[in-house]
Amino acid sequence: MRNLFLFFRKHYFIFLFLFLEVLSLILFFRNNTFQNAVIFDWTSGISGGINALYRNISEYFSLKETNLILGEENALLHARMPEAIYLADKAILTRNDTLYQSEYRFINARVISNTTNKRNNYLMINKGSLQGVEPHMGVIIGDKIVGQVVNVSQHFSWVLSLLHKESKISARFLKNNQMISVEWLGGDYRTCVVKEIPKHLHVEPGDTVVTSGNSEVFPNGILIGVIDQLHVYKDENFNTATVTLLTDFNALGYVEVVVDMFREEKEQLKASFEEL
Amino acid sequence: MTNLIVRNSIRFVFLVLFQVLILNNINLGGYTNPYLYVYFILLLPFFTPRWLLLILAFLLGISIDLFTNTYGLNAAATVLMAFCRPYVIRAISREPEEDLGNQPSLRLEGFTWFFSYSVILILIHHTALFYLEIFRFTEFFQTLLRVLTSTAFTLVLVFISELLFYSRGNTKR
Repeated sequence: MRNLFLFFRKHYFIFLFLFLEVLSLILFFRNNTFQNAVIFDWTSGISGGINALYRNISEYFSLKETNLILGEENALLHARMPEAIYLADKAILTRNDTLYQSEYRFINARVISNTTNKRNNYLMINKGSLQGVEPHMGVIIGDKIVGQVVNVSQHFSWVLSLLHKESKISARFLKNNQMISVEWLGGDYRTCVVKEIPKHLHVEPGDTVVTSGNSEVFPNGILIGVIDQLHVYKDENFNTATVTLLTDFNALGYVEVVVDMFREEKEQLKASFEEL
Repeated sequence: MTNLIVRNSIRFVFLVLFQVLILNNINLGGYTNPYLYVYFILLLPFFTPRWLLLILAFLLGISIDLFTNTYGLNAAATVLMAFCRPYVIRAISREPEEDLGNQPSLRLEGFTWFFSYSVILILIHHTALFYLEIFRFTEFFQTLLRVLTSTAFTLVLVFISELLFYSRGNTKR
């Protein structure tokens, strides 16, 4: 102990120097952000390298467990493959009318231009008449509504978005099948309105609105939105409601064009009826 | 002795004010800054206790830092310089320390001694100061140029002060 004390006393000059120098540097690096950032860069580079090395080595010890997890995941993914689902569906469909299976066909397409901020919005998709797209075909994304094809070239199609003055979708309430029609009045691309809801209908916020399937454009039951607010007018025959759209029109990636296999037949029938 | 303390205290205050009020605003060609305040360390008496030397250097540096918002930068450089001072004196002196007189001066020690004494210490101080401030080696030669030109500038100011104030008569204190 005494020797230690003597040692310090003998070399006090160096120790005092080191103390003051370190004190200055601590003050300096604490109060100057640039130097601070550079130091952090160095130290994190070193510690990051060490951490990565440690991770690389330690991963080997959990390989067995990782394999097990991956195997389970593989099984899960196999169960989700189209083949697996198709087999399951087939079992049900054989009991129904076989025509039901082929009423609609879907053409996968990518959205290559899209607007949501105009009064009349269109989107362009990368499939055209060569791939079988025709005007008046519906466009959906998953099980949600997007719009209707209005113009077709060989490789591309213009789609009239639901967010358009001209679009008026024939719809129904999911819970009681009551017919309504959905329009977009401009403004927020996440909401549209339902006009002419009969007074006697009991409608609540949260009710789901789906397509009716009455037109040849959309299949039955494509999701449109959820009732947000009901507006009751005492001196009119109809109520209106705002609908929160389920489709995110600002984030459309891949969509499907709906091909109705019986369209011609339906139209012929309609035409013959009108001739009478 | 009291006279010596008063004299050094006045020099301390004067040099700090001169540095922060005038010299810090001088910037030749975007490169060159004189740091005359280290003149205080150069002129401390030979018999100054070593611990006092370091403490005074720290106080001097931190005083400059207070005015320039660079906490610790000048303090670190000045403490390093003060630490080197005894070794530099020992290295360049032919005669023992006791024969050197009271305090380093151009007149008493001669041009060669005083020149090498101040060049080495100012160079140490400026190198530490500029490289700490830049804190990267990518601009190594640019910074080296700043160190060299600034050292020359400070040295010229030191010699001018030496000739102005300590050239005659007042060496016996």
